[in-house]
Amino acid sequence: MVASPTVRVSVGGGGLEGWTRQLLERLPAPAGALAAVQERGRAALAALPVPSSRQEDWRFTDLSLLTDLEPAPAGAVAATAGDLPPSAPGVVRLLLDGRSDPLAGVTLPPGLSALNPAELVQALGHTLAATGCEQHWPVELNHAASEQVLALRVASRHSVTLELVSTAAAGLLPLRLLLILEEKAELDLSQLVQARGAGLTSLVLEAHLARSARLHHGLVALGLPQAALLAHLALEQEPESAVTLVSATAGWGLARLEPRVRQVDGGANTTLRGLQLVDGRQIADTHSHVLFSGPEGELDQLHKAVADGAGRSVFNGAVRVPRAAQRTNAAQLSRSLLLSDRARIDTKPELEIVADDVKCAHGATVSCLQTDELFYLQSRGLAASQASDLLQRAFCEEVLRELPAAARSWGSFQAMLSAAGSGEDRP
Amino acid sequence: MSSPQAVGDLVSQPYKYGFVTDIETEKIAKGLSEDVVRLISSKKEEPAFLLDFRLRAYRHWLTMVEPDWAALGYPSIDYQEIIYYAAPKQQAKKASLDEVDPKLLETFDKLGIPLSEQKRLSNVAVDAVFDSVSIATTYKEKLAEHGVIFCSISEAVKEHPELIEAYLGTVVPSNDNYFAALNSAVFSDGSFVFIPKGVECPMELSTYFRINSGDTGQFERTLIVAEEGASVSYLEGCTAPMFDTNQLHAAVVELVVLDDASIKYSTVQNWYAGDENGVGGIYNFVTKRGQCRGARSKISWTQVETGSAITWKYPSCVLQGADSVGEFYSVALTNNRQQADTGTKMIHVGPRTRSTIVSKGISAGHSANSYRGLVQIGPKAEGAKNYSQCDSMLIGDQAAANTYPYIRSQQPQAAVEHEASTCRISEDQLFYLQSRGIGFEEAVSMMVSGFCRDVFNQLPMEFAAEADKLLALKLEGSVG
Amino acid sequence: MIRPDAPVLLEIRDLHARVEAKAILKGVNLTIRAGEIHAVMGRNGSGKSTLSKVLAGHPSYTVTGGSVTYRGENLLELDPEIRARAGVFLGFQYPVEIPGVSNLEFLRVSTNARRVHRGEAELDTFEFEDLVRERLQVVQMDPAFLERSVNEGFSGGEKKRNEILQMALLEPLVAILDETDSGLDIDALRIVAGGVNHLATPDTATLLITHYQRLLDAITPDYVHVMAAGRILRTGGKELALELEQRGYDWVDAELAALEGADADRQPAEVA
Ligand SMILES: Nc1ncnc2c1ncn2[C@@H]1O[C@H](COP(=O)(O)OP(=O)(O)OP(=O)(O)O)[C@@H](O)[C@H]1O
Ligand SMILES: [Mg+2]
Repeated sequence: MVASPTVRVSVGGGGLEGWTRQLLERLPAPAGALAAVQERGRAALAALPVPSSRQEDWRFTDLSLLTDLEPAPAGAVAATAGDLPPSAPGVVRLLLDGRSDPLAGVTLPPGLSALNPAELVQALGHTLAATGCEQHWPVELNHAASEQVLALRVASRHSVTLELVSTAAAGLLPLRLLLILEEKAELDLSQLVQARGAGLTSLVLEAHLARSARLHHGLVALGLPQAALLAHLALEQEPESAVTLVSATAGWGLARLEPRVRQVDGGANTTLRGLQLVDGRQIADTHSHVLFSGPEGELDQLHKAVADGAGRSVFNGAVRVPRAAQRTNAAQLSRSLLLSDRARIDTKPELEIVADDVKCAHGATVSCLQTDELFYLQSRGLAASQASDLLQRAFCEEVLRELPAAARSWGSFQAMLSAAGSGEDRP
Repeated sequence: MSSPQAVGDLVSQPYKYGFVTDIETEKIAKGLSEDVVRLISSKKEEPAFLLDFRLRAYRHWLTMVEPDWAALGYPSIDYQEIIYYAAPKQQAKKASLDEVDPKLLETFDKLGIPLSEQKRLSNVAVDAVFDSVSIATTYKEKLAEHGVIFCSISEAVKEHPELIEAYLGTVVPSNDNYFAALNSAVFSDGSFVFIPKGVECPMELSTYFRINSGDTGQFERTLIVAEEGASVSYLEGCTAPMFDTNQLHAAVVELVVLDDASIKYSTVQNWYAGDENGVGGIYNFVTKRGQCRGARSKISWTQVETGSAITWKYPSCVLQGADSVGEFYSVALTNNRQQADTGTKMIHVGPRTRSTIVSKGISAGHSANSYRGLVQIGPKAEGAKNYSQCDSMLIGDQAAANTYPYIRSQQPQAAVEHEASTCRISEDQLFYLQSRGIGFEEAVSMMVSGFCRDVFNQLPMEFAAEADKLLALKLEGSVG
Repeated sequence: MIRPDAPVLLEIRDLHARVEAKAILKGVNLTIRAGEIHAVMGRNGSGKSTLSKVLAGHPSYTVTGGSVTYRGENLLELDPEIRARAGVFLGFQYPVEIPGVSNLEFLRVSTNARRVHRGEAELDTFEFEDLVRERLQVVQMDPAFLERSVNEGFSGGEKKRNEILQMALLEPLVAILDETDSGLDIDALRIVAGGVNHLATPDTATLLITHYQRLLDAITPDYVHVMAAGRILRTGGKELALELEQRGYDWVDAELAALEGADADRQPAEVA
């Protein structure tokens, strides 16, 4: 079915369900390498119930912002070079606009290559299935709309550094990524996702790490109060591989991040670092899910949130340790700063353990800045606002300093703060 | 020898309270209908307001759907197969214990709850509930001298209807949840405690629940009110015979504390848990909630949960009064096919309210032990503080320990802190104790009670040793 | 004190043991008589702690050959708690922490277990308090440690003193002290050595595992053994320790190589 350009946007017509229906009508006919995926996604979207607070996974996350966005694919890219931070010297930067081939005219660094079509068919979706999220609504939404997939392989024993950059304006910008890291391959990936208008960025990333591979992924997502981000980051790890996934989001009217990790035979190392800032009436939600399917896996997770204004921060951290996962060592800590009496924090660790010889610890704190610390700084001559700024910065730095080099400059505390504070309440 | 297998065997101790007392019982026919609700009410000669309360609850219950908890697996309950009223045949309540059927006294003796005057636990008043009715309450007169009312709820309905009308259903509304509604419609008996203004209850109060009949549901209702400045410590204990069918126990407990008052509520729950294959056992679906209505009031829940096939229970505190305090101390031991889903809700409403949660879960066999908690800090709870600690101990690699601590905060001037850990009895710790001459069983039991120490310390002195013994009992047995 | 006519307390014959699949003890021989003090030295990883844990009955270690006789009885047949009650004491190199279990209660239960085994009456809480307070003086430990959980949060030196306190309460016949001197400050070392000397009698024996001469300055050994690759390579008097202090362990390699050669020759016989 070809979308008719005359369809009128009628906001409120059936809420998110209506919005989804209109989007489906306005998507171009399935075509290209991803035609089959698009068909699958569209069929699923037509059948799936839309997320609502009645579903446990969406209980605290109000998606009504989406219905304010145009239910249509994103138009021409608005990004200009001046909009983007300079790339790190000597590092290849790929621009993702959802339409054009990000590899056109680019010389890839040694060890990095694109998957051929046959390989793509084989690998695409594998990790989504393995981590149990292929049928999640945001993933099917991405399936339905993605025209491009950036599918890369890092060859064994090679070490590659890469930047990915995208800018969303109005409409839906689908980003689909697939990374294959061969044995002992290393990838440093800095990814900037930014918004310049009332649009929805839909990101689905799959990464498969072979034995002893290493991935350091830094996702810096700087949004706008009228923009939304839905991201699934699905990772499969073979033994002895190591993942460090650092995400920092700020400024989105709605941002939902779902890191999903599966250690297929255990024995791997996973480090998760998350920071989310909300102000105004923004909502940030991280739902992480880590599954150990074998023994001796390690997880070190730290999630931080700062909620100001009437912002809402949600963290749901699931860790599953089945019987096969003896000698797992998992630690999860969630720390939230609540800075305003109109803001709200919801945090819910979920530990499920069926193995006796494991170490699993988790903790959560919710509070404002410590009066003792504030007082100490003030007693050394700092103004209250300076002191609180300093402490907030220190709170955030603990995550930001673990971003890969390039992403560190995008995700500076200042950048985060100005994104979070950009525009008070959304219209 | 000291393998995890052997540790597992240790917790597989046969249930000691599984006997049935052969006593003539008056039961009404199976099934539930508006007529049954009226029949229960008329058998108990209740005033109109209570019949209304029951009927409203029943009608609401009909509109509700039974909860379907993802983590709990159990066959559906046929509510028409349950008997809603069973009582040992004897004329109402006896004035003196000498007139109580000796078989009943003997039953409670066997359970370690001596009711007869000469053997009474000193300084503990006991209300003994057998199936649907209270058969004896000790020390009533002595308590009355202090103005303390301690009696069965049926008696309270007759003798203090104004208090019942004023407080019943005000903490747990009759439409609160499926099982609370069912309880409100058909509750049989339970205890009522009233501590008037300024009175510190002179002794521990205790209710002992015994399910005897095989096809009876037990729906007791407990209501405790502590007026301004009053305080009381209350303990409930429970056992049931072994049947290979499941029995439903859906109790409701309501606590009300006014300014500067405090209630300490302790539970030692040892309902029949079913056999090692999960056949039989009690479904323990209980709603327990306390309201700290007054400033500086305090509610403290302590529970030791060792029985039941399925436990679903979240003793909660609504902290309304400024500076009020809520506490929850819990030990839950599951073995074989038992499932326990327990925890607490601390709802901070008033300013400077404080709560503490300490939960210790021990899972063995094929059991599942979940901690599910909610700490909610409302927008007006300035200066509120919560500290939670949930530890799990796993014995064997077939048991599950789940932790779901949910925190919601809307108040920046509040501090919430949660910590959780998982541990096992390590071979090295066991060996250390053994190498100092301590036997394997005793070493395991020492470690388990060490793990639970923070909770046992909260039990009234008279019962701390009991609880320790109960865990030791569950842990006793042949060394594999 | 060496008395050739003193009764043999512990007799270790050609002891072999492994942990998981790894063979660690490869033929240990050692005879300990009443009244003697033995010191075992040797490089890190040579099997000293393994020997001590095998003697105490740690379940991770499997005896694959040889025998251990304690006062005429087969020690290896006994459960660890029975060995302890019968008077074999191991002071651990790394005492474990047992959160929640009160130190005082632990000490009382173990002391009573040993007493009952000896046919003595159990001590009630009050009697035990008196006893423990008296024994605390041997190690000059603060009574506050009694109120804490077993070893939990104790510093390295405090754990070692707690071990000696246990020894003082259990009054063992054979005390095996695995590096009880490591981690101790100078005063503590003197206290611990004083404690050991105080508890040594003509009827008991001590097996000290140590790396340092300074302990042997305070407790004079009758015999010094050097362990290497799972066996006792050389035995001498207290002067052997001084010699080791001078020369180190390099000479061990040559002797070991010679031994391994002999082993290779012997192998077929062992299989048979
Ligand atoms: N549980 C175990 N698993 C695997 N290897 C072990 C185990 N216990 C001991 N070993 C190994 O056995 C060897 C002997 O260890 P042992 O602890 O007996 O040495 P030691 O002589 O006491 O050394 P140190 O002087 O450092 O205390 C070492 O190589 C050690 O790594
Ligand atoms: Mg050693």
